[in-house]
Amino acid sequence: MSNITEAGLATGYARAASRQPALVTGTDLLVIGAFVLVVLTMPWWLVLIAGYEALATKIVIWAIFALGFDILLGFTGYLSFGHAAFFGSAAYITGLSLKHLTSDIVPAMAISFAGLFVIALVIGVLTLRRSGIYFSILTLAFAEMAHALILSSTLQAWTGGDNGLTGLPTPTLLGSPMRGLTVFYFASAFLVAGFIAALVIRRSPFGLMLRAIKENPMRLEYTGVNVFAYKMSAFVISAMYAGIAGSLTVIYEPYVATEYIYWSTSGEVVIMSVIGGVGTLIGPILGAGFMLYFENVIQGFIGEQWKLVLGLIFVFMVIFLPGGFVDLARQIWRSLGHRIRARRYNVPDMAPEADEDRLRRRLDREEAEAR
Amino acid sequence: MKLTDKHLTRRGLLKAGAATSLVLAAPLHFVRGAWAQEKAIGTFPAGTSGSSVKYGFIVPQTGAYADEGADELRAYQLAVKHLNGGGGMLETMKPLSLKGNGVLGKKVEYVTGDTQTNPDAARQAAQRAIERDKVIMFSGGSSSAVAVAQQYLAQDKGVIFMDALTHSNDTTGKDRRRYGFRHFFNAYQSGIALGPILAERYGKDRRAFHLTADYTWGHTQYESIRDATEKQGWTTVNNIMTPLGAPDFSQYLTAAINSDADVLILNHYGKDMVNSLTQAVQFGMRDMQKNGRNIEVVVPLYSELMAKGAGDNIAGVLGTANFNEKLDDPGSAAFIKAFTDEYGFPPSQAAQTAYVQTLLYSNAVEQAGTFYPPEVIKALEGAEIEGIGPGKALYRAEDHQCFHDILVVEGKAPSDRQNQYDLLKIVKQVPREEVTYPADIPAFGGKDAQLGAYEPSA
Repeated sequence: MSNITEAGLATGYARAASRQPALVTGTDLLVIGAFVLVVLTMPWWLVLIAGYEALATKIVIWAIFALGFDILLGFTGYLSFGHAAFFGSAAYITGLSLKHLTSDIVPAMAISFAGLFVIALVIGVLTLRRSGIYFSILTLAFAEMAHALILSSTLQAWTGGDNGLTGLPTPTLLGSPMRGLTVFYFASAFLVAGFIAALVIRRSPFGLMLRAIKENPMRLEYTGVNVFAYKMSAFVISAMYAGIAGSLTVIYEPYVATEYIYWSTSGEVVIMSVIGGVGTLIGPILGAGFMLYFENVIQGFIGEQWKLVLGLIFVFMVIFLPGGFVDLARQIWRSLGHRIRARRYNVPDMAPEADEDRLRRRLDREEAEAR
Repeated sequence: MKLTDKHLTRRGLLKAGAATSLVLAAPLHFVRGAWAQEKAIGTFPAGTSGSSVKYGFIVPQTGAYADEGADELRAYQLAVKHLNGGGGMLETMKPLSLKGNGVLGKKVEYVTGDTQTNPDAARQAAQRAIERDKVIMFSGGSSSAVAVAQQYLAQDKGVIFMDALTHSNDTTGKDRRRYGFRHFFNAYQSGIALGPILAERYGKDRRAFHLTADYTWGHTQYESIRDATEKQGWTTVNNIMTPLGAPDFSQYLTAAINSDADVLILNHYGKDMVNSLTQAVQFGMRDMQKNGRNIEVVVPLYSELMAKGAGDNIAGVLGTANFNEKLDDPGSAAFIKAFTDEYGFPPSQAAQTAYVQTLLYSNAVEQAGTFYPPEVIKALEGAEIEGIGPGKALYRAEDHQCFHDILVVEGKAPSDRQNQYDLLKIVKQVPREEVTYPADIPAFGGKDAQLGAYEPSA
């Protein structure tokens, strides 16, 4: 029974997608405004809580990475364990361009963007044929291959092997050096743009299709939708977010570590998404901020046992709060006596308070009528 | 001519004023510490304006080299104690400008960070120390990849980095940096020191089989030892690159046994060396004969912690070290005594280099009379110091490698040990002159290797 309802849900989403809702609502503008305010003032308020300016830049960069990851995992339900391949490749391409072509970041970012597009297409075509754990393993395998390639003795002359790519010039933008706050605001612009883009994607018929894939790809396939094309688009978009983050990391500090392309980087972004709240957009961003803050500031207070404490936090989060920080916020809000409106984006023909149950009921009714 | 005829115009007044101030200011150019020379670089002067200064000690607290990191941190804490209150090598170091009352009268404090034995994490920790805590110098590391990454960060930020444990040629070779200094010896020097002893012990016509950790340090050590032994007439049969952190070396060891090599050289460090040596002994290689001679095992870079891990298997195995707790020159003795009094056991070579580096930097600051990085760098470059180990040490200006006597050591058999820390014996103290090489040889980046600017760009 539940299978039928879920299949119905998928169809319902697909049907709703054919009608155009507003992509950005008034509430969204409020959310975006608050988001911009919080992000842009970060170098100031982060210092108040024992942080520092460079950490703010790092958080912004990883927020972009986690945000893009959420488009694949949160929307489409594909858990990639190989996003380091995109983050790292972009970092290496950017680094090599800065070192050998010009210290200007515009060509560096353009080349890395184009290069990454091709890499994402190739890996996507090869991995998206499978789903679930098989997809995760395939992406992990590709990332590990990329890592081995970077460290291989054939490429070592270019990539610097285990030392990472060193000796890069200070990156410049139209002649002015990219340092300190300049990099922060440059990266923040990408984060804000990326956040708005993700909101729009979530609202769009395209975003609805992605969610439908998460619910029931097979049913969607039967309705004549080219599921592979949608999965591929989500995968590439997600990879491009990772790529931008990778490029920005090199601009933020002109150095490429081999870790950028190592599985630990893939794992870190998964953890960020999970502890923040998968599929919420803001959750992975919070997760990125928390992880980096913990790793760089709280670590100093705890000392050598910091990884143990971090591990315990993960365990508690996964057991008691699988929905992450966003879920925690919702629970607190609810316990204060407020109601949380279950929001169903992209479903314009329903009242705002409509929830999943109502959609299910309606679909059941329609199905009964059809019979 | 009436006085009123001399029009005192506004423009004239400005001109005269500018000229006057220029004349008045001119002598300042010749005064050290004047405004025109000491511009803000890195954490200077922000980090030195108070009554204390901070050093950043970024060591591996987690990961494969956490043991080395813990020992480094002990040494740093001891160094800070001595800087603020006297004692230790402050009693033996010459020339000495430190007074045991801090550095330039400012109390020394420190912050720590975790490199996680990972260059990226190390750089993040260093950035925190620089940006938030405004450290005037940072030190640490236990991996050449980390050291190289930190040196580039140091150059970029304009904050001096004093390398701790890093043995790769690249650190003061192709990746040498103006803001990075290395006191520890390197793989090339291991080759120079070890080559003649190996030929003397085992003969001039040996055939060597190398197993090498597959990363930068392993590569440079393999090349250095290969060249040094071939110079003695040895033949290199083969070299197998083994993945870092491999748990099982049996397939590589089988290849070595099946070859006609009669010496096994393990270019491994830490746990890799413990595992590969232990397995070689389990395979019975120490009791085998090839070409009518006993198979010998050599570990070019030895450490106390590795010797401890490998236990009885180290008996008779030769290698090199930067320091040993049995050294009896005044500097080493003072340090070993202070360390043992403080912690109850003797220091490792990681601890020794960490301690000496902190003192060398602080002494250079006192000599320069300022924390201004370019002046401190100049004070360190070419400095010749006594009383920080056997003989005189020289910080070469061309590549920032510190030259001093290094040791060829041999693992002790269990029956020869006097206590649980008595694992290695000194075979030869190789004098500094013998392990000195030109700064521009190909193994160290050739003529292309440059230190970079005294003042970081922009």
